Amino acid sequence: MDDFTHHALPALRLRGLRKEFGRPAVDGLDLTVQRGELYALLGPNGAGKTTTLRMVAGLLAPDAGSIEVLGVDMVGDAGRAKQAIAYLPDEPMLYAKLKPTEYLEFVAGLWGVEAGVAEERARRLLDWLDLSKHAHELTEGFSRGMKQKLALAGALIHEPQLLILDEPLTGLDAAAARQVKDLLVEHTSKGGTVLLTTHILEVAERMAQRIGIIQHGKLIAQGTLDELRGQSGTAMGSGAGATLEDIFLQLTGQP
Amino acid sequence: MSLPTLRAGSALWLLRHELRLYVFRMGGKQAKRRGPSVATLIVMGLALLGLHAFAWTILPALGGELDTRAPPLVIGVTLLFALAFSMMLSQGLKASIEVLFERGDLDLLLSSPLPSRSIFIVRLAANVIGTASLYLFLLAPFANVGLLIGQPRWLAIYPTVLGAAAVAASLSMLLTLGLVRLIGIRRTRVAAQVLGALVGALFFLLSQVYANSAGAMQRRLAGWMGEHMAPGAALGPDSLVWLPGRAVLGELAPQLGIAALGLAAFFLTANFTHGFFVRGVQQAVSLVRNAAPPRNGVRYRFGRGLSRTVMLKEWRLIARDPQLISQVLLQLLYMLPLCFMLVFKGKTMVPGLGASLTFLCTSLTTALAWLMIAAEDAPDLLRAAPAAPSTVARAKLAAAVLPALLLVAAPLAWVGWRQPLSALLLGVCVTGATVAAALVVRWCARPAARSDFRSRGKGNFLSHFFELGVSMAWTGLSWILLALAQPGQVSIWLAVGGAVLFTLLFVLMAVAWSRRPAYA
Repeated sequence: MDDFTHHALPALRLRGLRKEFGRPAVDGLDLTVQRGELYALLGPNGAGKTTTLRMVAGLLAPDAGSIEVLGVDMVGDAGRAKQAIAYLPDEPMLYAKLKPTEYLEFVAGLWGVEAGVAEERARRLLDWLDLSKHAHELTEGFSRGMKQKLALAGALIHEPQLLILDEPLTGLDAAAARQVKDLLVEHTSKGGTVLLTTHILEVAERMAQRIGIIQHGKLIAQGTLDELRGQSGTAMGSGAGATLEDIFLQLTGQP
Repeated sequence: MSLPTLRAGSALWLLRHELRLYVFRMGGKQAKRRGPSVATLIVMGLALLGLHAFAWTILPALGGELDTRAPPLVIGVTLLFALAFSMMLSQGLKASIEVLFERGDLDLLLSSPLPSRSIFIVRLAANVIGTASLYLFLLAPFANVGLLIGQPRWLAIYPTVLGAAAVAASLSMLLTLGLVRLIGIRRTRVAAQVLGALVGALFFLLSQVYANSAGAMQRRLAGWMGEHMAPGAALGPDSLVWLPGRAVLGELAPQLGIAALGLAAFFLTANFTHGFFVRGVQQAVSLVRNAAPPRNGVRYRFGRGLSRTVMLKEWRLIARDPQLISQVLLQLLYMLPLCFMLVFKGKTMVPGLGASLTFLCTSLTTALAWLMIAAEDAPDLLRAAPAAPSTVARAKLAAAVLPALLLVAAPLAWVGWRQPLSALLLGVCVTGATVAAALVVRWCARPAARSDFRSRGKGNFLSHFFELGVSMAWTGLSWILLALAQPGQVSIWLAVGGAVLFTLLFVLMAVAWSRRPAYA
């Protein structure tokens, strides 16, 4: 693949994605996230956000539809597609009986990161996330925020192109939340891509280039904040100063 | 439910809540409805009816009058009582650990305005009832039938069982709390667990020691017993040692004694230790051990390669969990007498030793494989990684198999020194058996939490069945192969038996393979 086509490819392209658990959880979802973009996926509880992210991360096989990560098909060539992704669920994927250093060694092993590179990154990440002084302790004694930060270090140790985060700010204190937000902005400014879900609408409002609103497994609206304002304005007749909260509640039909 | 209305917040109200939860838990975790299923209830009802019928046939035959001091009878009943009591104690220790460590709703209860004393009394009472329930289930029919046919002294079963359960529950709570004070809360968990298992296995182990000891030893013991149990001697018919037996057989005074002892133990334990219990609980919550940082700074060991990284991770997770290790080792403990018997007594001992080693190794491997494969802590991390799932799975299988092979190395060398061919056959069998055991777990076990280790058989009956079947088949196979290797032992029946077992093994593995989940 030459450089030009590589750059023209979107970071993520979902087409007709479908998944049923008795009832449809994701119902014909089309979504494209461009490289260098921070895309926030919003939706009421049970709308299918987490199911979508789990399919994108290769944890769930879709019933129908396709997932392309940087042009690589997730179903057909999972290994290569996953190489470029880091998935960070709201419950951090950790081992209680491992130390942070050992955890990072394990994750680096899974992604096949070369030893010299991995060590340098591990030191930098633990320093930056303020975990260095706990590097010799077992993870089971960590607070929720520390666990979340360690999981983040694990996600970043293989320098993924596409970061997929499910409620990344849950349980973090103000300083750590700021760190994560800065990191996400920095990641996109360097050409990386972020797809995240959040219930904190203010985060989406201030950070996301584009916002998608999902309900009953379908994308009911997407675009920049202004575009969303326009859509909800024509539908409900509300003004241009509407907040994302107003727009979200209007579009999802909640009081 | 038309239960009498109890004042919310009273001790009885709390006890009702505890008992309701006890009933709900009987259903198991996977069950759709809470509480025992209809089928279980029907089976239990039928069993109760059957027990009543059994009592109906057997009690009249015993006659109205029993000589409650007749030595063989009272000794036998006392021994049975002691066996039951040791089981109660074991169960009580288990329950105490649960109360202290798997606390669940204790934070909620202790944060409520209820006095901590009533909470402790209720927990203890729930333990007593839980401990007594099995024995009441089995024995109450005799009391009921006895009353019907005019032998009311069998009603003694009720106070005796409840009294013994109260003593056992109090004693085990005291023991557990004592351990907390002595060796600290973290080590108590493992120690109490080992103690509970040992007490539960005590009779089995003692009987094995007795059965395996030499004839001269057994004769000496019999002589000693005869001497001390003569009328008037320390263990004579009037001795206090046989009191429990006499209570079970219906003598009023010993009955009252046991019931009173139970009550006293219960209230004394509740009164004197509830403060420490509450403090112990708080200690258990807030205690987090932090090791000192290493002197030379943190070291990294990247670049070990995927397989070695995975294996190392699995071994670390198990090595750092003393509770798991103790559970795994306790399983092996039950099988040790078997090995002793073979080593010290058997004439053709190599086949027997080989068979028991095979069984031991498969058990260990099954346990480890379950922990490493089914109880993976972060399955999503592994699936989200680009690493080939087959490589990860192979590394996990190797991690599960290697400890058993290491364990068997020494006995294998011992056999090899005497019979090289047998050692070779045994090596093949143990390797085959452990690999098969690990594969069966990989194909049949379903994801679960590490903490479900002890109840893993309950949730997945089929997996358990295959595990057991494969391990038995390999055990038999190794016995036959080793027997065939003994000089002058070649027989057509052994060969036929071997062929049958081999076929069975093949079928079992094929069926287990067909049940593998899509991701394995």
